[in-house]
Amino acid sequence: MAGKSGRSINNVPENPVKKMIFSWEGILVLLLIAINIFCSIFSEFYNISSLLRQMPVYLAEVFLMLGMAFILVMGEIDISVGSIVCLSATLACLVSNAGVPFPAVFLIALLVGTCCGIANALILTNFQELPPMIVTLSTQIIFRGIAEIVLGSGGSVSVTNTDGFRAIAGKVGQVPYILFLVLILAVIFAVILGKSTFGRSVYAIGTNRLTAYYSGINVQRVRFIIYTVMGTLCGLCAMFLISNSYGANTTTGENFEMDAIAMAVFGGIMSTGGKGNIAGGMISAIIIVCLRVGLGQRNVNAQVILLIIGLLLICTVGLPNLIKNARQSLKKS
Amino acid sequence: MKRKVISALLCVAMATTLLAGCGSSSSTTTDTEAEETEETEEAEEVEETEEAEETEEAEETEATGSYAGQKIALVGKSAGNAFFEIAAATFVSTVEAEGGTVDVVYPEEATADAQIKVLDNLISQDYDAICLSANDTNALQAKLEEAMDAGIAVSSFDSAPNAESRQVFVNQAGTTAVAQALVDAVYDITDGAGQWAILSATSQASNQNAWIEAMEEIIANDDTYADLELVEIAYGDDEAQKSTDQTEALLQNYPDLEVICAPTTVGIAAAAKYLQDNGSSCKLTGLGLPSEMEAYTGDGDDYSCPYFYLWDMEGLGSLSAYATMALVNGEITGALGETFTAGDLGEFTITEADDGGTEIVLGLPLEFTPENVSEYAELY
Repeated sequence: MAGKSGRSINNVPENPVKKMIFSWEGILVLLLIAINIFCSIFSEFYNISSLLRQMPVYLAEVFLMLGMAFILVMGEIDISVGSIVCLSATLACLVSNAGVPFPAVFLIALLVGTCCGIANALILTNFQELPPMIVTLSTQIIFRGIAEIVLGSGGSVSVTNTDGFRAIAGKVGQVPYILFLVLILAVIFAVILGKSTFGRSVYAIGTNRLTAYYSGINVQRVRFIIYTVMGTLCGLCAMFLISNSYGANTTTGENFEMDAIAMAVFGGIMSTGGKGNIAGGMISAIIIVCLRVGLGQRNVNAQVILLIIGLLLICTVGLPNLIKNARQSLKKS
Repeated sequence: MKRKVISALLCVAMATTLLAGCGSSSSTTTDTEAEETEETEEAEEVEETEEAEETEEAEETEATGSYAGQKIALVGKSAGNAFFEIAAATFVSTVEAEGGTVDVVYPEEATADAQIKVLDNLISQDYDAICLSANDTNALQAKLEEAMDAGIAVSSFDSAPNAESRQVFVNQAGTTAVAQALVDAVYDITDGAGQWAILSATSQASNQNAWIEAMEEIIANDDTYADLELVEIAYGDDEAQKSTDQTEALLQNYPDLEVICAPTTVGIAAAAKYLQDNGSSCKLTGLGLPSEMEAYTGDGDDYSCPYFYLWDMEGLGSLSAYATMALVNGEITGALGETFTAGDLGEFTITEADDGGTEIVLGLPLEFTPENVSEYAELY
């Protein structure tokens, strides 16, 4: 079945059982189980209800991972997302304080994010020779710069009417709304990336852009759509961030691009393009959330947690290469 | 095929979480408390652990006080603030002397978002109280309300969250008390009459402006200070060089200037050096760090600063500890007018804070004189 998906483009057919066990997602699921067992031994307070209660703060970044997955599979990168989140959050707070009703505030946040995404997309599709890293580095500075100017000397804004934000931070039983939204979006994005023609063209671009172009894929249209949607997701992320802290400041969303990239790469989505899927990204996102919650509950120094995640990441990038090299040397001998 | 297997594995993972999570939470709670606290403290700084274990052994047999057995979390703005750590150290020793335990936790960076993650972690655990120095006035409201709903007492010192987010705030010294002390110092040094100037940080700094405003008000409303002439408010932007330049400019523009009052640690240190190096007759007072001011504090013409002030951070830590323990104990609820006894510090009454919430005011700022400055210089 997996053969039908875009991933098959550069996959050599293998024994399906062997493939499943050695697939990155399989390893990740085992790691997820291991980390959950470790956390529940490590912290006496680690259980499903404390996990659900602490989850929302980390889940906002998972929205960004979904968009980043498409960009990475395409072999590109967007490091302006943290700044887009900051700008959307800032403007959302300001219009909310100006008395705009909450649904409109929500739409404005999405709109601001989308506009920033379109700005990225316009530059990238009109000046195709520019590397995305440099373009989004520039817009990263520009978007945060605008937010800083808007925020003025104080550098922060608090929402005065928190009712709407309280509502989106609500729960069904113990399960926060944001978890439902993340899962629904993850399924939609997974289907688009894994099953649709659009998704296949994303893999094609990531594998070889020139071949994709000559096989009739409208490369620039695909890029335009993906960068625009990335912006919209930033707006969504911004709204849920405000629902946690009731405000925005000049550091809002800082390093979010790195967190999103980390989740995606840890999930087996290669930054070189053409490889990986949303399922892997989601499992790795859940692993990171579990790890942060579990270690945090024993007051492990935040820097130590970041260190562990960093180590996991470097292993992730290193391990497949190591396996590949081992296989090759086995074949040779 | 692959997908189905993965989803099956995922389900297993979730189920394991559930089982493992619930299972261990019920089994480990039967562990002895001593073990737990020892383990928790391993994650903290070595210094604290040593300190804690020493006292712990003694306390476990002795402690019979009404505050025994309380488990309190102390949350800082971020790691590495020497000033906060002084208060934190006395907070810890005060609680431990009463037979409780304290975990000092710092967020990964000095932002409200990072502090929210820390609070989330703390609410999941079984703390009796959270005492914090807030990184943002309003941002922590939802989390702190959640904590209070979960039966956790919430107090604060150093930097307060808004009135709805806390039960009580422990204030180092009221704005008026600081202003009064500074005005009295100026009055004393000038012998009641003469020109003086203020060297502040930036023109937007809210605490600086509050003190300056209060000083102006005191002088305007009391005839005692009628002969004091405030000639200028200079802004050194909390930069050493700019503060020095501003001091120089003040002396040039006002040759008869008798006192400079600098309610900022950077400003006072820069001005102290300039005045002393140039042998100026103009004297200095304000708010400063003893370690930075030690060389300039003394009687007579060789020194630029006769005496200065700062918060009593040790007293603040201790009072915060007693207030937090009293909240847990139900002695106080944080309501206006309640009184409680804070160990050796004496009796305190809960008063109304500027933001509409309630606070406990430690009292006057600590005065640093040539006699005690070297003793405190070792601390901060």
